[in-house]
Amino acid sequence: MPATKLNLINRIFNGKNAVIGIPYLWLLVLFLFPFLIVLKISFAEPIVAIPPFSSFFIWGESFWPTIQASLYNYIFIIEDSLYINAYLASLKIAVISTLITLVIGYAIAYSIAKSPTRWRGILLMLVILPFWTSFLIRVYAWIGILKTEGLLNLLLLSLGITDQPLTIMNTNLAVYIGIVYSYLPFMILPIYANIEKLNISLIEAAADLGCRPFKTFWQITIPLSMPGILAGCFLVFIPAVGEFVIPDLLGGTETLMIGKVLWLEFFANRDWPLASAVAVILLALLIIPIMYYQKTQEKAIK
Amino acid sequence: MNKFTKFNLMALVVGFSFLYVPIILLVIFSFNESKLVTVWAGFSTKWYAELFNNQSIKDATWVTIQVAFISSTIATFLGTIAGIVITRFGNFKGRTLFSGMIYAPMVVPEVIIGLSLLLTFVALAMDRGIFTVTLAHITFSMCYVAVVVQSRMSSYDDSITEAALDLGSTPLKTFFVITLPIIMPAVISGWLLSFTLSLDDLVIASFTSGPGATTLPMKIYSMVRLGVTPEINAVSTILVGLVALGVVSAALINKYQKQQTSPQT
Amino acid sequence: MKMNETIKPFIQFRQVTKKFGDFTAINNLTLDIYNNEFFSLLGPSGCGKTTLLRMLAGFEKPTDGRILLDGEDITDIPPHLRPINMMFQSYALFPHMTVEKNIAFGLKQDKLPSNKINQRVDEMLDLVELTEFAKRKPNQLSGGQCQRVALARSLAKHPKLLLLDEPLGALDKRLRDQTQFELMNIQEKLGITFVIVTHDQEEAMTVSNRIGVMDKGKVIQVATPNHIYEAPATKSVAEFIGNVNLFAGIYKGFNDTGSKLQCEHSDAVVYSSQSIDVDIGANIWLAVRPEKLEISKTIPDSEYNILKGQVIDIGYGGSFSTYHVKLPNGNMLSAIRANRERTSEHSITWNDDVYLHWSAKSAIVLTN
Repeated sequence: MPATKLNLINRIFNGKNAVIGIPYLWLLVLFLFPFLIVLKISFAEPIVAIPPFSSFFIWGESFWPTIQASLYNYIFIIEDSLYINAYLASLKIAVISTLITLVIGYAIAYSIAKSPTRWRGILLMLVILPFWTSFLIRVYAWIGILKTEGLLNLLLLSLGITDQPLTIMNTNLAVYIGIVYSYLPFMILPIYANIEKLNISLIEAAADLGCRPFKTFWQITIPLSMPGILAGCFLVFIPAVGEFVIPDLLGGTETLMIGKVLWLEFFANRDWPLASAVAVILLALLIIPIMYYQKTQEKAIK
Repeated sequence: MNKFTKFNLMALVVGFSFLYVPIILLVIFSFNESKLVTVWAGFSTKWYAELFNNQSIKDATWVTIQVAFISSTIATFLGTIAGIVITRFGNFKGRTLFSGMIYAPMVVPEVIIGLSLLLTFVALAMDRGIFTVTLAHITFSMCYVAVVVQSRMSSYDDSITEAALDLGSTPLKTFFVITLPIIMPAVISGWLLSFTLSLDDLVIASFTSGPGATTLPMKIYSMVRLGVTPEINAVSTILVGLVALGVVSAALINKYQKQQTSPQT
Repeated sequence: MKMNETIKPFIQFRQVTKKFGDFTAINNLTLDIYNNEFFSLLGPSGCGKTTLLRMLAGFEKPTDGRILLDGEDITDIPPHLRPINMMFQSYALFPHMTVEKNIAFGLKQDKLPSNKINQRVDEMLDLVELTEFAKRKPNQLSGGQCQRVALARSLAKHPKLLLLDEPLGALDKRLRDQTQFELMNIQEKLGITFVIVTHDQEEAMTVSNRIGVMDKGKVIQVATPNHIYEAPATKSVAEFIGNVNLFAGIYKGFNDTGSKLQCEHSDAVVYSSQSIDVDIGANIWLAVRPEKLEISKTIPDSEYNILKGQVIDIGYGGSFSTYHVKLPNGNMLSAIRANRERTSEHSITWNDDVYLHWSAKSAIVLTN
């Protein structure tokens, strides 16, 4: 083999590239490639067969296959207001939940960061602990509380605060509570990490220059903790849009989130192509926030 | 010096109550005598006894444990490599795509990940079962491990690696003898994190699993759809207890190890 | 130490350039360092001295040029295969190993038999006086002790060359002074070539056989400490090392007294006994170190190099005092004088009118 070709092979297969290659290949095959398959199947039609969709490539006499693709699923989605409403509802619910989580999460993160040093470790662990317990279980726990005969109503009725049981279960409110509850640790941790690293002398300088505490908070602390806030918001908003378990267990018929739509199309209707198209559109909606999130993470490394 | 201000204290108390009250109620009602989950009828452990006789739950638990152990171990291996590559290997070709693939699984909705993996398995003509669920779990877990390791590596003193090289140790040996022992707590955290994520996953497992490989979350979910019973509370309480035990011990081990190694890493 | 021109240099940098993207850290640098030298790379932050050291260690590769060690081209050899050891600024001790194991680490890589390793480790512990601390871990040691472990570890393999990256920066003044002399003793005793990077000129002057002064990626001057101080090659070297009084002006020629400089903004004329190769009328500078300026309240007995001014400020330094004197044209000069008397009877005080004088031999002329 000529020297230059051997050299090239050596350069490609050297130790460093081999190390990079192992996780890289895995992710290419099992993370990126699957998205392409979803895209491909979104152009297919549902048929009664295994697998239940038409083939993309038709192999015939000629060397190259003919492609059988249709935009039927996409047209269907765009024309049916159910799907559009579901996308919009998902976005709306995700945005509102993110904002509520932000307010509560920031307050908790700030309080932990300002607490005596010996307490911080324990407090953080207490924040993380629920996150490590089953998501499903925690959502389930709320069912018992929010039901009409549930514990919350029991409490309110016995204290005389209300005289009729509140219908919270199976409404959007329950979904909000569920999302905020489940995603709170994802908001607290990045914000906490950010506030903890904040240079306290900046805040002290502001006070020294005569700035009142409340104003200092708005004009100094909040802008400086923006990276943490953004990270937390992305970690809540993006998955919340496609959330399935919470609207399924806590939401009602009025709550149609896109994650649930996808699930139903796939499992109940066995319409794999339509489910794929729903997924593709959802991913398209989220691609910009996802890329933005990845950019902020990369910046943090540098 | 920091102390608890009134506002902070109140925020913490309210916040933590919000986080913990549902779990505590769950645990309490797992010992309820009656079948209702909201009316206390006396203390009883009968639901736990019923659990032990429930074969499908026991099978699901066994499946879940297998998947969790295997997937976390492999995910930790892959994720540690990925975390180190991202921090130490500079600007290699294709780095943007690589880092995109590392961070994306944490935010992409699970329904999308689950659907895409299932369709891939179908396209590759693979039968769904324990193997496919494990592959799926490895894929998203390794990203979490990568982030944990990357975070540890960013505060790692590079001159320690250089010192080892300078003293004659090859790059590979340096990794195993110097770097890995030092970042081991982070690697172990990564393993525990993967284990929990696998233990807990419902959506992706539903898509990628197959007959005979029902996981515990899948089983609990199907039970919940049928109606709320204290048996579910009992299972949940056991899981919560185990996880709490795990997290607390991990925290204690971490604290102990921190005291052993130098603060200047 | 004699510098014999016919001895082949031990370390050679041949037209080495290092670029980081658009930024040129090292600019076409050629430098020779000889065997058994204690050589300092001295310069301000960002001059490239650390980059140069790291290229020698193998942690950076030159964009251009070659590096030779003992006649052998080591440019492409990775760090773990070079017979060079380095002592890091942050010490870089392995936190999960004891002092003993840290020191033994390099020896283990060479696969020496364990009895030889133990013997060598004991020798090193003895050298840095840390024998009782052998079983401790780095987090149980003080800063000074960590530094000595780092030194012992880097010497354990008896390398041909030891690189030291700002090794004394983290120590307090007294420990620093003490360690400087220890380093010099060890270097002489073991006969190893030391190359040290520092921004502390006092340190460089104290420990080195020769100093390489660097600025913006280039070596400005390489000479013994005495030479660097008394015969700096450029204004920047003169200003970087110690304090200096600089007179800017026009060259008026060379006569019996010496080189004549017409000071700008004044009608004063000053002399240096050093000759200089420039045209008459060129812009030059005359440099005089503060300790060579004699300060007195009475007119000195000399024909030239006398300036009159007013004492604006005095800095008391215990063994000496620094006088800041303002000339009629506004320039400030500084003169240093030993405090020979305990009492202040005949001493100079603020706002006194004084005369500054120096001999022509004490001044040098610079063209840039």
